[in-house]
Amino acid sequence: MVGGTPPVARVLAAALCVVVALFMLVPLAVVVASSFSASEFLVFPPRGWSLRWYAEIFSSRAYVDAAWFSLRLATVVTLLSVALGAAAAIAITRHAVPGSEALTGFFLSPLVVPTILLGVGLLMASSRLAGGPGFWTLVAGHVVVTLPYVVRTVAAVLARADRSVEEAARTMGAPWWRRYWHVVLPQARPGIAAGAFFAFNVSFDEAVVALFLRAPGTETLPLLIYSKLEFSPDPSVAAAATLMILMTALLMVALDRAIGLEKVAA
Amino acid sequence: MAELRVDGLSKRFGAAVALDGVDLAIRDGAFVALLGPSGCGKTTFLRLLAGLEAPSAGTIRIGGVDVTRLPPERRGLGMMFQSYALFPHMTVAGNLRFPLRMRALGDRAAQEAKVREALRLVRLEGLEERHPRQLSGGQQQRVALARALVADPPVLLLDEPLSNLDAQLRKDMQVELMELHRKIGLTTILVTHDQDEALSLADFVVLMRAGRIEQAGPPREIYARPATAFAARFLGAANLVPVVVRGDLAEVEGAGHVPVEAAQDGPRQLVLRQEDLALRDATRAGEASLPARVVAIAFHGPGLRVVVEAGPHRLDVLAPPDLALRPGDAALLCWQPGKALLL
Repeated sequence: MVGGTPPVARVLAAALCVVVALFMLVPLAVVVASSFSASEFLVFPPRGWSLRWYAEIFSSRAYVDAAWFSLRLATVVTLLSVALGAAAAIAITRHAVPGSEALTGFFLSPLVVPTILLGVGLLMASSRLAGGPGFWTLVAGHVVVTLPYVVRTVAAVLARADRSVEEAARTMGAPWWRRYWHVVLPQARPGIAAGAFFAFNVSFDEAVVALFLRAPGTETLPLLIYSKLEFSPDPSVAAAATLMILMTALLMVALDRAIGLEKVAA
Repeated sequence: MAELRVDGLSKRFGAAVALDGVDLAIRDGAFVALLGPSGCGKTTFLRLLAGLEAPSAGTIRIGGVDVTRLPPERRGLGMMFQSYALFPHMTVAGNLRFPLRMRALGDRAAQEAKVREALRLVRLEGLEERHPRQLSGGQQQRVALARALVADPPVLLLDEPLSNLDAQLRKDMQVELMELHRKIGLTTILVTHDQDEALSLADFVVLMRAGRIEQAGPPREIYARPATAFAARFLGAANLVPVVVRGDLAEVEGAGHVPVEAAQDGPRQLVLRQEDLALRDATRAGEASLPARVVAIAFHGPGLRVVVEAGPHRLDVLAPPDLALRPGDAALLCWQPGKALLL
């Protein structure tokens, strides 16, 4: 290559990549390693190896209940935010909705508003309007947090899609609802899948809004891990976290198989 | 099949006028080319016919029925897009079945038969189960054409259908489009910026400029008798030389006098097509000529494109490949006065 990057800069860039990757991976490695510890205490490096903490969490009522609750919550949140977010993204990109740029900004705003602020606001609003914390209050709170991901991914895919495909369907006699079903939704599919992936993970992982909006006596998995860490830190916490990492990894593989990650990355 | 008629058709986008009061009648079964440079309004015209844009004024009639207010999904026309606009998530057969399903034309078996027939028409039998991304550009183009035809529309609209193909494929497809039109005799309207394509494909050419029809007529007529300097330049790659006519002589400023066919006296433009000009040492009987000097010679396959100067005027000449002149040489620029037009 003529006038390319000098070798020194390339070596430095590679080194920087390695450092950043390590920085991102070390916490994961520490957690995963600790989860296989035989010790009673959460220490690193682990002393002795065993699977006892996995057995422990699967036989623990608290863990199973919390995981089941988080799973139900994340599933409902994902379905709702995909339905609402995809509709909003289609409206913004496919119709000249008045002020669609301002709307886009508005839909993305929960990404930058501190979640603690959202939590307080949602708590106060729900106490006034919906009889206080509970499952559906928490769903509503999480949908606010996850909606931007869906709007963003679906709008990005639709903005790049060839508009003449929809026009072609029109000239072929397709009324609007059949155009949405046969053309727009298939075009939006990679964005919907990616948005659902983010929505599920964010909801499953979210602790701040959940702290404010959960009903008394219910625990989500992240909240349970947090309280365990605070009061009785043992390697079961690491085992639960490792299973969460595993679930995310499996979801990513599924997403890649279904639509290809390279379509989502853009 | 149907005739098509527009009256006073206009389209404004804000302050910009894309189409400015166009009147046009197209007979049943005609092959019409809307020709013009980019921004002349030809694509807007086509989109208005399809119903994809709403006109600011005027009416559109297809087969005697006023369709001006009808949305595209209820006009029943066939349209092929420049990008082909195939459904990427459907197979070739799925793409072709789509218009039949949307219009509920026939039962499943009848639809399958129509799909097979349309694929045979564009010579793509056997590719029913492929997806568009598995096809070459030329094959995609044929699928798009077949999809526009499959529901037997009364009018076929083609938006720059060949512009994404390479030169050889484009020539092949031109021939196929002509054959197809001869076979099924469908009223066809083609948008193109390529004058060669328009003249060779269509039996009626509509030359457009700045939202208006500059000139319309059969290809030979419009080529032989351009009505304006714009038409002469765009259709025939012609040279335009300012002259002053007195009787049957025209004075070419700074270059000499040449005989012309009878015309009114006064300042005019002499239209000289590249292929009507020759470079020789001496004139032949009845020829007009001007002394000229060769400026540049470019080889282009079947012949040479020679740029010459006659006085202050530059002209393009299409010369045979065995021309013995070099840049800087002097020669006589000759033509038959009957071939030259005066505007």
